[in-house]
Amino acid sequence: MPRDSSRESGGRRATRRRFIAAAGAAGVSAGFAGCLYGTTGSGGETVVSFGFDPSAAQAVGDEIRALFHEEGGLSNDIRITFEPGVQDSGSRRDKYMRQLTGGEADPDLILMDSGWTRTFIDRELVTNLSSFLPQDVLDTVESEYLESSLSTAMGSDGSLYGVPLFPDFGVMQYRKDLVRNAGFQPDEDDWATEPMTWERFSQIMAETLQANADEEESLRYGYVFPFDSYEGLSCCSFNEMMTSWGGAYFGGRDNLFGPIGERPITVDTEPVVNSIRMARSFIYGEDDDAALDGYPRISPENVLSWSEPNVHNAMVNGETVAQRNWPYSIATNATEENYGTDYGVMPLPYATEPSNAQAEGTGGTTSALGGWNMTVNPNTEVPDAVREVIEAATTDEVMLGLFRIWGWLPPKLELLRTQAARDIEPTGRYAETLYVAGQNSMPRPVTVLWPQESSAISSAVNGSASREQAPAGAMTDLKNELQVIEGST
Amino acid sequence: MGTETETRTQRDAGGGRSGAYTRSVRWLETLDESQFAYLLLAPVFLLLGLIAFWPLLSTFELSLHADRLTGATRVGEFVGLQNYVELFTGQKALVNPFFSLEQPLQSALVVTLVFTVVSVLFETVIGFGQALVLDQDFRGRRWVRVAIILPWAVPIVIQGMIFYLMFQPGVGFAVGPLSDLGIISSQPFNDLGSSLLLIIVADIWKTSAFMALLILAGLQSIDRSLYDVARVSGASRVQQFRYITLPLVIPTVAVAMLFRTIDAARVFGLIEASGAGCTTVPSLSCQVVTTFFTIGRYGTAAAIAFTTAGIISLLVAVNIARLARGGL
Repeated sequence: MPRDSSRESGGRRATRRRFIAAAGAAGVSAGFAGCLYGTTGSGGETVVSFGFDPSAAQAVGDEIRALFHEEGGLSNDIRITFEPGVQDSGSRRDKYMRQLTGGEADPDLILMDSGWTRTFIDRELVTNLSSFLPQDVLDTVESEYLESSLSTAMGSDGSLYGVPLFPDFGVMQYRKDLVRNAGFQPDEDDWATEPMTWERFSQIMAETLQANADEEESLRYGYVFPFDSYEGLSCCSFNEMMTSWGGAYFGGRDNLFGPIGERPITVDTEPVVNSIRMARSFIYGEDDDAALDGYPRISPENVLSWSEPNVHNAMVNGETVAQRNWPYSIATNATEENYGTDYGVMPLPYATEPSNAQAEGTGGTTSALGGWNMTVNPNTEVPDAVREVIEAATTDEVMLGLFRIWGWLPPKLELLRTQAARDIEPTGRYAETLYVAGQNSMPRPVTVLWPQESSAISSAVNGSASREQAPAGAMTDLKNELQVIEGST
Repeated sequence: MGTETETRTQRDAGGGRSGAYTRSVRWLETLDESQFAYLLLAPVFLLLGLIAFWPLLSTFELSLHADRLTGATRVGEFVGLQNYVELFTGQKALVNPFFSLEQPLQSALVVTLVFTVVSVLFETVIGFGQALVLDQDFRGRRWVRVAIILPWAVPIVIQGMIFYLMFQPGVGFAVGPLSDLGIISSQPFNDLGSSLLLIIVADIWKTSAFMALLILAGLQSIDRSLYDVARVSGASRVQQFRYITLPLVIPTVAVAMLFRTIDAARVFGLIEASGAGCTTVPSLSCQVVTTFFTIGRYGTAAAIAFTTAGIISLLVAVNIARLARGGL
């Protein structure tokens, strides 16, 4: 064999130099193709990549895409490609943080949890939409969208950085058939729109459990709620419990988004401590050291390690009378195949009237605010197309379409009062309750320090609820910890 | 060799090359064999140095800068060793662990050391036992070998899920009995003591086989004739183990322990996969990840990372020094 690098192939001599030249040319071509990909598709249309919810993208991505074009008026020259993020919200946040910090141009449009949009705004990683969107779109968003939802997408300078795609509100979901068996009348007493006190609620659940115990073999709990040591505890299930007692993390509603280091820390106040005592009463009963009188045992100890899917499953499996969850759970449980019209939804109970609340803007029924906002990658190469996608999303047709297709609530709360929304089965049946919950929604206090504060809060509350520490002592320690965190910028 | 060198010099000198080239060649010819070998290896050393040390130096450089939580600039101004001082004096606000120690870094250090010492110790003892079993010739040895090695083949995420499903309240069968006996709490993944115990058990379950394989290699390298001589001399099995097996296998055990110590000291994946999570079991690696990705304090995260690297280097240095002395 000759010591030559060339080989005979198809009548042509392929030398190393030729190979390198060919590989180089191929690389350059691929590079150009890579640069072009993302801005124009095969048919000459502009492609907008949209960092999106993985379940929705997989299950109804095509329907949502069609909705934007057919009912939102999105030009056919623009094609949305959904880039599903991971299901876990925290992991998605970390991934987008890496992508945007690294200056990546993809995805062009990003769906961000209302719980962490502010973090990206404060780090100047997303586009200021006040100078990006047309004035009429800005006017619509700022005047008609749910205020609490909007507040999660605004910077401290008052500019808009995100447009809510859908909000989410915590609600109480329960079995009407079981409470009726126990002698209660949810429809006649307007449970759907008239919130009750936690004390009455817990007594109803205890009685319902007792009245149905013999007939319902799988029924084991009165009330289940997510109380694991995780973000969902600090942002939501405990936040709404505490607020309904008239308490707050940082003095009240005005201080939710700062000023960091200058706002009071009020986690050691009586309403906050009482809300933990109430959770302990639900879990361990009135014999617990920290229990409140009049609040019977209605929940399993397991809730201390449960998040929303566990709670949802307990309801699906017929193990509980009531659950605290997000509206997605309605869409499963209220179908004709499951509980149908025997499934009830009501606003979350409260302990203190707003007029008697210790912290400003608290008291009364309170639903934690969830939901997701659309934000724009400042490195996008297709800003005009991105603008058009956002414009389409702000139309009533698209909002109602998303409610119909996937159960995502419209960020324009008034749409819930329309017949079109009520006609959407099964969630539309509960539109009035969702409207009440939306009006009483409470955002989590998101600043750049929230990830640390949230972790500290969930650890302290979960630890105290699981009887590792007395509620008052745990909250005093938490206050000290939050003071260190607030002073660390 | 001398003749070859002569020929090379003559060929180059007579080749009409430039003066610099000729001087270089002459200089090369003056090098002795080991110097010439180092010269040839220099590019590799340089590359290894870049790969191994450049990230470390880069991390150290980042650790000398302040955190910047707002604004477009990701890294703050140069602050010297301030991040280290604040970390060690507990002034830094980190994601605080679910732990009674007030200072997060010290808590993470304690958690990491407890995990490392306990798991490596048990893995060594169990691995040694398994290696001794595998070293015997008996019927069904192949199946025993598979059974011992199987846990090691399980991916870390699957291993985490197995333990999560076993110890998740309401799902796992193991919570009730062990909780009633007071071994773990009723919410094991929300409690540091229980979580740490479960993670150590999970690590021992998986990694003892790794130790067994390394130690087995050491056992099989022992000259069998030594045992024949011992038997002829009337030595008991215990005496054979004590005076032949143990001294000859100790260097292998020490190397295996070194590998496992390095690996255990950077534990992260198992904590996350098992359901305990970094909040409940805050190892040093956990603190690096949460400080960097969750709370975006890049300077502080770099300082913790560099400190972790320093601690692991110290452990390695101590182990290597012991190895050099020929003991455990």
